Formats: sequence, structure tokens, C-alpha cells
Amino acid sequence: MAGHTKAIADLSALGASLGRRDVLISILAGGLASTLPLGAWANDAGPIKLGAILPLTGPGAAVGTQQQRGLMFGVEQINKRGGIAGRPLEITYEDDQGRPDQAVLSFNKFVDLYHFPLIFSAYSGPTLAMAPLATRKEVVLINGGAQSDRLAKASPYLFNTIPVAGDEIAVLTKYLLENGKKNAAILYENDAAGTPSRDDFIKSFTAGGGVITGQEPSATGQTDYRPALLKLSDTKPDVLFAMLTDGLGALAEQLRQMKPDFLVVGTSFFNDPDALKNPGSNGWLHTQVKISAPPELAAAFKEKFGVAMEFWGTQYANAVFIVAKAIEKVIADGALITGANIRKAFFDVKTFDVMVPAVFTTNTAAMEIDIVQTQDGAHHLVKEYKAG
Amino acid sequence: MLALNLLINGLVTGCALGVVAVSFQLAYSTTRIFHVAHAGIYTLAGYLAFSMVERGLPDPFAIIIAALICAALGALIQYALYATLERRRASHLSVLIASLGVLAVIQNVISAFYSPNIIPFTSAWRGQMMSLGLTEVQVATLIVCLAVFAAALLFARLTPLGKRIRAVASNPFLAEITRLRPQQTYIIVMAIASAMVAIPGALVAMDLGLQPYNGTTVLLTATIAVIAGGIGSLTGAFALAVLITVLQNLSLLAISGEWSVGITFFIFLIFMLFRPTGLFAQR
Amino acid sequence: MDFLFSYLTLVAIFIILSLSTNLLVGIVGIFSVSQAAIFGLGAYIVGYCLVNDVMSFLPALAVAALASLVLNVLITLPSLRVSGDYFVVTSFGIQLLATAAFTNLTEITGGASGMPGIPPAEFFGLSFDSGFKNFLLAAIAATIASLWFALLMRAPFGRLLRAIREDELAVAAFGKNVLFAKVRAAAIAGVMAGAAGGLYAVYLSFIDPTTFDLNASVLLLTMVVLGGARTLAGSIVGPLVLLALPQLLTFIDIPTTTAAAVRQGIYGLLLILFMVFRPQGLVGEKL
Repeated sequence: MAGHTKAIADLSALGASLGRRDVLISILAGGLASTLPLGAWANDAGPIKLGAILPLTGPGAAVGTQQQRGLMFGVEQINKRGGIAGRPLEITYEDDQGRPDQAVLSFNKFVDLYHFPLIFSAYSGPTLAMAPLATRKEVVLINGGAQSDRLAKASPYLFNTIPVAGDEIAVLTKYLLENGKKNAAILYENDAAGTPSRDDFIKSFTAGGGVITGQEPSATGQTDYRPALLKLSDTKPDVLFAMLTDGLGALAEQLRQMKPDFLVVGTSFFNDPDALKNPGSNGWLHTQVKISAPPELAAAFKEKFGVAMEFWGTQYANAVFIVAKAIEKVIADGALITGANIRKAFFDVKTFDVMVPAVFTTNTAAMEIDIVQTQDGAHHLVKEYKAG
Repeated sequence: MLALNLLINGLVTGCALGVVAVSFQLAYSTTRIFHVAHAGIYTLAGYLAFSMVERGLPDPFAIIIAALICAALGALIQYALYATLERRRASHLSVLIASLGVLAVIQNVISAFYSPNIIPFTSAWRGQMMSLGLTEVQVATLIVCLAVFAAALLFARLTPLGKRIRAVASNPFLAEITRLRPQQTYIIVMAIASAMVAIPGALVAMDLGLQPYNGTTVLLTATIAVIAGGIGSLTGAFALAVLITVLQNLSLLAISGEWSVGITFFIFLIFMLFRPTGLFAQR
Repeated sequence: MDFLFSYLTLVAIFIILSLSTNLLVGIVGIFSVSQAAIFGLGAYIVGYCLVNDVMSFLPALAVAALASLVLNVLITLPSLRVSGDYFVVTSFGIQLLATAAFTNLTEITGGASGMPGIPPAEFFGLSFDSGFKNFLLAAIAATIASLWFALLMRAPFGRLLRAIREDELAVAAFGKNVLFAKVRAAAIAGVMAGAAGGLYAVYLSFIDPTTFDLNASVLLLTMVVLGGARTLAGSIVGPLVLLALPQLLTFIDIPTTTAAAVRQGIYGLLLILFMVFRPQGLVGEKL
């Protein structure tokens, strides 16, 4: 398998220097070669090779590149400790531009040409597009970032190493209702991240007897929240559920100017450095999946990449640790490293005692979710809700 | 109360949009080029001002320097691209597409250089509240943009350069013959228009934050104001820009914000159907 | 092999889209950034019909094509009579409105989260559920579209369109109905784009609003500009090259932080460079 992969890599490199027609030929050659029966590859002592398809360019790029850093860091940490059962880990990265069709292309390339048994992914659109293919080809997809509830059931081969948004929001609404907050207004980003969370909030808040006083969308990239805030504030809510993945800094500033009566609440996305810097975020309440890297790892990350590890870096490094454990199990059982076996290992291991512990009884990780409040740029724990 | 707040908010944003519309009007009625890259210049101004403020420059200077850089860029686009295309007898469509290309390049260079995400302008004095529920920078925007509009009107009516521009705009062919040198005029006009649009670009960014791609919608709304106001009319462009923005804001009283684009576009369609020459057309 | 087929299927679909854009932009001469909206309309109609069991693939495709035809004609109609620049605004507006509709009409389109689980195309007892079969379907459609385009251009209608491009007033003076010819071209362009959308929906099995946004329209425009306007060859070369570009970039070692600007900015740069230095594209005619 190692030799075969190298041959394809050589062909591809040759193709790049020769020109378009020749690249097509090399792709064809690689494609044909990949249809030949190859036999088991787990018995090599060579590196364990996995794939990652992330939005490295396009609108999701800032998040995607940070996720990539997380993966790279995770790989480095694993290899520092001697790899997985003595074999080094390698991840090949591809950019899907945040687009589902490009993700499918990359997926097919990874599976047909490189035979990766497992692929890391991000963003619900691309992941949902790859999910049916993952089922068909029996390749494990690891989602470490997207939180759309659809992901929970999209494929038996899709594992979400982060609780889906619905889990966080369930905790949030429970806390709010327990503390007498009955009326809520919603400001949400009108895209694949924000709208499902809005739906989750409405469902669980009203199920507990709460009332939604109003909701306003924000377009992706929009920076002017004033008209929406004016309108929502007019409905006199107890809390404002702000579901934005980008622009929380600007929101904090505009809220600071408004001096509202209501409490501002949200999910893990409130971990936004721009927002935390702004005094407008004082008193904001949010759920926090218990994600924190131990200080020495966080420092090592900062030193290697020059940016703080933050949410995505930690999440994706953790995803690598989880996967490494699962593959360790496969090897320990003497089985081939295939998607089907890795999948089985996830449920066999079940409780992953890694950097951020996770429990897999379903395809979605159960983790501890806390309620925290921000004050002067720092978080203060308010309440804990344990996993399971 | 809500209606009043929305109205006031709309007036401020509307005046900023008004200057965008006036600057676009100036460029379009003179050069006849639908300069979509104008949206890129608007966006760039904000980022340039941001960089300079980060380096410690006071806001007014940052805005002025941003305006100067944008003026140079606008002139460059006219000189190096549009004039070249005209020399090669490129079709109107080709010029449009080239302009779209420039817009894409500017937006993506900004995105790569700074960030594809929203960057808040760190607030110092800007977030201070003043009367009517407006912040200092909002009040500044209101005053400055109205002043720029007034200046543009005076410039066009009274100064020799302004008159020359209007002459070239009304008849480029005759202008060529009578040695008014339209090409040179175009460059000057593009420089002025770009400097002009940099002002709301910087002010709005200071108020709301930076994002590489939202200039497109702003320009779209401004061009609708220009067309509805009537080609050639600076007042029409400004007035319609304010009107459209106020209507967009007030529409929130009745419907949800997702269809704001729809409102604007609906206004445009009405005009296209019933009064395609606009309200205050001058030709 | 699936990798090759998935790439080629995408190329085939974009050839059809390219032909559509070529017709509208290259031949009729209208600046359009709303072709992605029509593409999306076709995709959502077919997707909706198949997911909700309203009708099977071929009838759904027909409905999609018809709806796209009507929409394209409606939006080009007013602007065909007024100056070309007004259409720029209309076109941008339509594209933005379409994105808003796809994102907000959640009951019908699935909203921002998209529409998953679109079943494969089925007709005449065949189910197109593999990479190869999807490719076959797309390739056949692309061939039909190409033949249609070529025949159209050779027919009197094609000559009429060319003449309109050269000198619209003269053609009108000859008594030819210029408006009707343009509308007819817009209609055909609509049918192609809508059909491409339907094919896309069954190929990917998942569609969302981000695929049919302004960036997609710009990509289409770039394909026509690069490949070359008004020729069949141009409509084939454009997609082939531009879809291969991101794939090629992955074989070459570019640091990913720069690759961001490189790819997105490259489309813009290509537009500028081709308009200035080679307006006829690689194998086309001058725009």
C-alpha cells in the first residue's frame, strides 16, 4: 500500500509539472490503478494515513484554518508520544472551499486514490453531502465542528466529536427557565449554523413553558444589528438569545451603546475574543462545552502557530486524540484499519479519556456542558451539567 | 418610539448611503461606465482607515488619507483599465466584466490580507452616546455626509472643473472635439468619486465594523437610488438613498429583516415599470 | 474511478451552465450575474419533487426547465427594452433575492441547512445511483445541450442573433423582431440552466443556498470569459479548466493561507486579464 500510494503521488507530482492534459492522464492512470485489487494494508509498519477535508478558503476559511492547526497539533502530539501503536500518524489536507460539491470531489479522491479509512471534516453543508457516500463506501467521517442537528443521524459512519447544538441549547433553556426567565427574543444568523439553532431554542424554550417575543435574522457578514436590536428590544424580553458565529464583537459594541434591560445568552460561540474585549459583553451568559486544553498544551500550540488554541484548535486536536484511541483499539484487536472496524472501535471503547473526555453511546459525543458568565473578558462558572 | 428610533437610525445610514450614491452618480453619468468596483473602493476605505488608526493616527487624518489613497486607486483603475479597454474598442459588456473582476480582486485581497471575518473597529470615543440615541460617530456620519453632499452640489454647479465635468458628461463626442479632453476628465472624476465614497466607507466601518464582502449590497442599493433618482441628478440620488434606507428600516415594523433586500428591489421594479427615467432625470 | 467520474459529472453539468451563460452573455450581450439563481431554481424544484414524492425525475426536470425558462424571460424582458446598465442592477437584485428565497423559504427548500437526501434519478426502470451512471446521465445531457447550441448557431436564428450583436438598429430597421429573438435566446438559456440544476441535485443528493450564490454566478461568467464567448468550444474549455484549477492547486504545494486569496482572487484577475489582453478567451470570439 505504501508503494502504491507513493506511485500515485509521483504520478500526480509529475502531472503538475507537465500540464493539464498530462494531469488528466495521470488522474486517469491513478483512477485505473485504484480499481486493482490491493489486499490488506493494515499489516504494513508504515504510517497510518488519514484525510481531512476542511474549508481552507472561502467564507469558512478563518475557522477551517484554525481547525487544520488543531489537527496538525494533534498529529504532532500523537507522534511525539510514539504514534499509534508505534506507527506515525499522517493527515492529508484538502480544501473544500466550504462547498458541498467540492467536498464530494475531495472525498472521492481520498477514497479512490488514497484509500483513507477515515476523514476529518467540518461545516454541516459539506459533511451532510459526504455522509451518504461515507455510508456507501464505509469510510468514517469525523465532524469536530459543525453542530447541525441533522448530523446526529446523517450516517452510521459519521461521528460528531462535539455535542450538537441542540444539546447545548437544551442545557441553556433548562437553566433559563429554572431561573425564572420566561420571555426570550432571538437574534440569529440566517445560515446553516444559526437557523437550526434558532429552531432548537424555540422548541426547547417553549416546551418548558417559555414565550418567544420576537426573532430577527442577520445576514452572513452583516455588521449593522441596530434595527434588529431596536425591534427586539421593543418586545421587552427577559433574555436575548444571540446566535451568531461571526460579528459578536460588533454586536457587543452595539449592545453596549444600547444599555439593554435584558440578559444576553448564547452557546459556545460566545468564546469570541473580539466580544470578550468589549465591555458590552459583560454579563453575557452562555453554555460552554467543557473544552479546555491543559495549559502546557495550550502554550505549545501558541508557540507553534502564533495564535491561541481557542475553541476550534482544541476541538480538532481532541478529535485526533479520540481517533488515535479508536485506531489503537483496532490494532490491539488485530484487525485491519478499515472504516468499518474503526466505527466498531468507537462503540467498543465508548468512553474516551482524552484531553477533553467524551462518551460515545450514539454517534455524537456526550461531554460536560457548563453555564458560564463573562465579566471583564473572563468566564466565571455558574453551573455544571455533567455528560450522559 | 420604536418607529422614531428606526427613523433616526435610517436617516443616519441613509445619509451615508447618499454619499455613496452621489459618488457613483458622478462617475457613472460622466464616464458611462457601470463601475461595480466602486463597492471595492468603499470597502477598502474602511480597512485603510482601520490600519492607520491601529498605528495611532487620529480618526480624521485616517479618513483623509484613506480618501486620498482611494482617489489614487480610482484614478488608476480608470487610467490603466477602463481607458485601455476603450482604446481597444472593447464592448460595454467587457468593461462591465472587467470591473466585476476588479471588485473580486479587491475584496479577496482584503480578505486575505486582513481576515474574511468581521473585524470590529476598536471603540474609543466613537461609541459615546449623544442625543437622540445616536453615538458620536453616527452624528459625525450624519453631519459629514450631508456636508459632502452639499459640497458636491456646489462643486458641480459653480466651479469651472464641475462645469467641465458636466459638459463632458452631457456630450463626450463634442467634448472631444472642443478640446475638453474627456479622458483626462474621466480620470479626475474617478479620483473625486473614489475619494468621496471613501468617506462613508470609513465612517460606517468605524461605527459598525469591517467585513470584506458586504460592500456589494451597499452599492446595489446605491445604484437603485441613482436610477430611481434619475441619471444625472445628484439631489435625486441622495434623496432616494435616504428614502430607501428609511423605508428599509421602517419596514421592520411590519415584516422580518430577511426580506430587506426584497423591499429595495421591489422599489426598483416599481420604478422600472412606471418611471424608468427616474424622478429627477436631467436628460 | 469514482473520483474521475465525480469530476467529469461536475464538468458536464457546468458545460450546460456555461452554454446557458454563453447564450445570454456572449451572444445576446446581456451582463448576467443571476445565472446561478436559475441554476438553483432548477435544482430546488427537482429536489423538492423527488424528496416529497411529488413526481419522478423526468417530469420534475421538465417542470424545472419550464420554470427556469419563464423566470429567465421575465427578468430579462423589461431590461431588454431599457438600457443595458439597468439590467446589471436587476441581475444583481435577482441573484440576491433568489439567495434570500432559498435561505428563508425553509418549508420548501429546507432553508439555510439545505435539502438532504435527494434520491437518485430514475426513469425507464433505470436507477442512476452510482458515480458512473450519474456521469452517463450528465454526459448525455451535456451532449444534447451542445448539439442544440451548435445547431442553433448554424440556423437562421443564430445568424439573426449574431446580426443583432453587430448592429441592433440595422436589424430592427430590416423589420426583424429583435425583442422576440432576444427573448427566445433568454428562454433557451433558462431551460439549460434549469435542467443543469436538476442534474446537479440528483448527482450530489444534497443542495444548499451557498452553492447558488453570487460567487457561483461570477464563476460562470469567468468560465465563459476564459473559455471564450459565443463558441461551443469555449463553453467546454471554460468549465474544464476552471474546475480543474482547484484540483491542480492541490497537487502543487501552496501554503493554504495564501491559497485562499490565490483561488478567489484568481477568478477576478482572470476576468480582468482576459478582458484586456484576450477578450476572445481561449477558443472563442471577442465579447
